[in-house]
Amino acid sequence: MSLLDKIFGAKPKSANIAKDRLKIVLAHERVGASYPFMDELKREILEVVKKYISVKDINIKKERNASIDMLEVEVMLDEKTPQK
Amino acid sequence: MGEVITITSGKGGVGKSTTTANIAVGLAESGKRVVAVDFDIGLRNLDMILGLERRIVYDIVDVMEGNCKLSQALIHDKKSESLYFLPASQTKDKNILDKEKVKNLIEQLKSDFDYILLDSPAGIEGGFEHSIFLADIALVVTTPEISSVRDADRVIGIIDAKSEKAQNGEEVAKHIIINRVKQELINKGQMLSQDDVLDVLALDLIGIVPEDEKVISATNSGEPVYFDKDSISGEAFRRISKRILGEDVEFMDLNKVGKIGFFKRLFG
Repeated sequence: MSLLDKIFGAKPKSANIAKDRLKIVLAHERVGASYPFMDELKREILEVVKKYISVKDINIKKERNASIDMLEVEVMLDEKTPQK
Repeated sequence: MGEVITITSGKGGVGKSTTTANIAVGLAESGKRVVAVDFDIGLRNLDMILGLERRIVYDIVDVMEGNCKLSQALIHDKKSESLYFLPASQTKDKNILDKEKVKNLIEQLKSDFDYILLDSPAGIEGGFEHSIFLADIALVVTTPEISSVRDADRVIGIIDAKSEKAQNGEEVAKHIIINRVKQELINKGQMLSQDDVLDVLALDLIGIVPEDEKVISATNSGEPVYFDKDSISGEAFRRISKRILGEDVEFMDLNKVGKIGFFKRLFG
């Protein structure tokens, strides 16, 4: 959003909202569609990481780009436990 | 051997059958032998768009069940000399399609035609899977709307997983057609632009078709909009057909098209 838009309180363009929402939802759906073993993989990674550090959740996303496919593993740490 | 082009989308109502009809006409008008096959068993519509509904005697299920010969079920188009149409069955259960029988039929069509266009049903079950299984090329039709783009993405994933080519380690060529584009809305930031859609789907574009009221009257009269020389969507379909034939054609500038339309309305 431009500065002028901010000053006059213009609404964000709905096309941009649509694109952002799509990207998020597809990132999740693509994983499930192409890797049926994803839940198991996620559970196993979680177990391994938990041996070392306290983890709240693990998120695996698939990004498709014109040239590469990428798996993104996001590990969310548990805030309550003090991190060294 | 002919090439199998499947027109698909996931979501219904985005213009698959209209696209199939117009591309079929386009390829046939350039002299290729073309057959358009309606795979939407139980909900046939391609016959109406092509204006051939009153000539149907036998359908695709009759051919596969051996009730008639392929040549008896094929309907010769009334305008395009080298275009034929194979209608879907309207009364039979859509679960009647059998992988082997579909394969035999397509193989037979491949030896008789240059292009076999399969109009896939909406959804991702039975009929859809049959229609993508033997595809050489998939044209994924989407409108610039969230639900349609999302379903297109899903369909692309399924083609990559379930087509025969994918199972043999090859890849089905996939291209995007963005249909019913409203350039005024894109300019106002209220509709996904072609770049937005392509960025999300990460595939090549093979056509952008502007929203065009003439499609409605074309469907009403059963004469594909391709033949309407003044229509902008007809022009878009003419260009897509040329691209399929391997020509390098520029994409339409919808900003200019819109303005011409405006002046035509004023002075035309």
